[in-house]
Amino acid sequence: MKTMTRLLMTAAAVIVTSTVAAYATPPDDTLIVGISADASTFDPAQISSRDNSNIAEHIFVRLYNPDEVGQFTPAAALSYTVSDDGMTYTYKLKPGMTCQDGEVLNADDAAYSFNRAADPANKFTGNTPGYVFDAVGFKSAKAVDDLDVAITIAHPNPIAFALMNEVYLHCKDSYEKLSLDQAAQTPVASGPYKLVKWDRGSQIVLEKWQEPGTFKNLIWRIIPEASTRSAELMAGNVDIITNVAPDQMEAINASGTATVKAVQGTRRIYVGFNFGKEFQSTPGGAAIQKTEVRQALQYAIDVPTICKQLLNFECVRATGLVNPPQDNQSLTPYAYDPAKAEKMLDDAGYPRGADGVRFKIVMQGPNGRYLNDVNVEQAIGQYLTDIGVETDVQPMEWASVYVPLIQKHAAGPMFFLGSGGVLGSAIEDMSDLSTVDAGTNYTGWANPDWFSGWDKINSAKTDEERRPVIDAMLKTFYNDPPWLMLYFQPGFYGVSKRVDFSPRRDELMFLFGTKLVK
Amino acid sequence: MWTFIVRRLMQSVIVIIGVTLITFTALQIGGDPTYLYVSERASTTEIEQTRHALGFDRSWPEQYLSFVSNLARGDFGMSLSYKRPALGAVLEALPATIELTLFAMLISVVFAIPLGVFAALHRGTSIDGSVMTLGMLGQSIPSFWLGIMMIMFFGLGLKWFPISGHVPFLLPLLQGDFVKALTSLPAALYYLIMPGFAVGFYSLSRNARLVRSSMLEVLEQDYVRTARAKGISEYAVIVHHALRTAWLPLVTLIGLEFGFLLGGVVVVELVFSWPGIGRLVFNAINQRDIPVVQASVVVLALVFIALNLIVDLVYAKIDPRVKL
Repeated sequence: MKTMTRLLMTAAAVIVTSTVAAYATPPDDTLIVGISADASTFDPAQISSRDNSNIAEHIFVRLYNPDEVGQFTPAAALSYTVSDDGMTYTYKLKPGMTCQDGEVLNADDAAYSFNRAADPANKFTGNTPGYVFDAVGFKSAKAVDDLDVAITIAHPNPIAFALMNEVYLHCKDSYEKLSLDQAAQTPVASGPYKLVKWDRGSQIVLEKWQEPGTFKNLIWRIIPEASTRSAELMAGNVDIITNVAPDQMEAINASGTATVKAVQGTRRIYVGFNFGKEFQSTPGGAAIQKTEVRQALQYAIDVPTICKQLLNFECVRATGLVNPPQDNQSLTPYAYDPAKAEKMLDDAGYPRGADGVRFKIVMQGPNGRYLNDVNVEQAIGQYLTDIGVETDVQPMEWASVYVPLIQKHAAGPMFFLGSGGVLGSAIEDMSDLSTVDAGTNYTGWANPDWFSGWDKINSAKTDEERRPVIDAMLKTFYNDPPWLMLYFQPGFYGVSKRVDFSPRRDELMFLFGTKLVK
Repeated sequence: MWTFIVRRLMQSVIVIIGVTLITFTALQIGGDPTYLYVSERASTTEIEQTRHALGFDRSWPEQYLSFVSNLARGDFGMSLSYKRPALGAVLEALPATIELTLFAMLISVVFAIPLGVFAALHRGTSIDGSVMTLGMLGQSIPSFWLGIMMIMFFGLGLKWFPISGHVPFLLPLLQGDFVKALTSLPAALYYLIMPGFAVGFYSLSRNARLVRSSMLEVLEQDYVRTARAKGISEYAVIVHHALRTAWLPLVTLIGLEFGFLLGGVVVVELVFSWPGIGRLVFNAINQRDIPVVQASVVVLALVFIALNLIVDLVYAKIDPRVKL
């Protein structure tokens, strides 16, 4: 009996001790972030997802960092110059930089970082080789001297500078010694934090080894389920969580321990009008060929109400494909005016029939890809049906069904989509429609006024010269809309009252300046 | 017995081939996964290059034959999303799932037997009614919902148990780090309680009902009546005579149950952020990471086959009527 009592008391003591450990507030030198997905790699050339890159931002340096409004501030580089032909960018690096293992980080290392990512033998598919290099036409990088690195691209490109700043720099000697597998799992840091522990599927622990950074330890806990992330935040076990579900905001705000911070993101959510020939034989596909019809449909949708009711967010309707404040500020968002929409459709030759229907149209969209996407798609379908455009909403599985349709420009005649955007460059946002045949011109829109604008942008020497061209192009987009313009997808972060953290519109998480609330 | 074991092992090869074929076909029907591995702004050329690099430009039979021939050498290929050997990723996640499943089994058996026996001994009373109601609830409540409710009540509200997370015990043990395994055991058990219960509650309910009905049947048998007539204590009659026979169906079920639980932990692993094979497979299916899905399915199938074999052997041991 005594033995049993002792055993029970020991078990109770263990549980009490463990309880304390499980519910201790994180120490003052530690910041814990709850994210939905584990990192897949820490090879700087392989990283592609947002969660993965947000961790990597603390391990690797870039040439320049984007700030909260999309402007670039020097990071590893002090300054840069562009050659007269616009095809060589020469960066001057900061002296005295080192990597985690003590190796000096100089121009040779910066050049190696670019060339390693581009090496076809490595078969990298991350953001750098998979998007940046393709978009800028990267040719090569070489060290001019100890601190100057020259990067050559195939043709002048006004957004090359912004894109090249997405490349992570690392030390040459360290990485030459690593196999690809080792590089993926044991990164050698060039940034302020180093990876000290990666419990796959559980947590990633970073430790500060050089300035800047308020916290000594950054812990990224992998918590896939949204309600569990919220519970961990409310219990005080994590400081920041990403992707708060709209239905959990009230509970978090009422918890007294944390609040939800919402921010208008940069992803452009829209409904595209597909002008493809295969749709022109359908009633809806034929109708949307007319500019007046596409304009009328804009007036049928109450975007602010969609944002408020379905996304729990107050939004301003987009006027085009460019994120504010780089958009055309003189344009006013289309108002919600169903009566006007109906009159415009009457005038365009689409009166209501005996059954109240003007024409029928199919709208395809993803299921579970964007915030509350199916509900938004159904709301849009209902708004259009209300003005006599009977809309058949077809939500689809994202990865294997919808994406191939989009990539083949075969979704439609109307399709719901989100396209990643940026803050500091109108041209980068507009580059979705860089040519009529561009892979990202999913609608097949071919307005000559828009596409002739690109020559003027490319021949302009300064931003001041480009701005009027951009504004004119955006006005064309507004008046002859290839998209049913909606909103910029909001992001929701749960933030403990223990820390002072402000989310950014571009979804980047630089935690160097995050600090404890005094 | 050895003939039986060899025959079963040979049958398992056919099972494995069947399992891989079904999984491979199901994933192929899901569509071309190439688009998941390129940027949303990727050009057609880039998409084609990636499709070629991943091997998805080959025909299905060609891809499957290549997979089977590599499998024969123990090579499941590289994970498409983790960029590392698929088998390594699966084996790394397996111990966490085994821990959870074993614990769920333990909860299930430890509670089911006394509950079932107790209900049988009090047939028709409110005790019996309560156990039956519990059994019905356990079989009706989805494990993910139970998990979330437990998190809200016992985790967030009462703060008795950790909301999510995992402390490894089996992995250090398998790696030979006994000190680490032993020191982490209390915390590991503590983190196991809620997810273990969420996974095991269904089995607990089913097993309790099974033990109850089995006990009721056995208690009517002549040999039990004879044992009582001989003046043996009621405890000895129940434990040594009745239960010994009544739990045989449970032993058979335990083996199958383990396989059922192994496959059923996916949602609970997601809810409790448990870094096991269920979560790995869930992500791999979403990412169409075929090597990881195949490796997971084969490993789980092997575990299932091994368990069934063990159950058959144990059954033969405890029931002298069964000859292998």
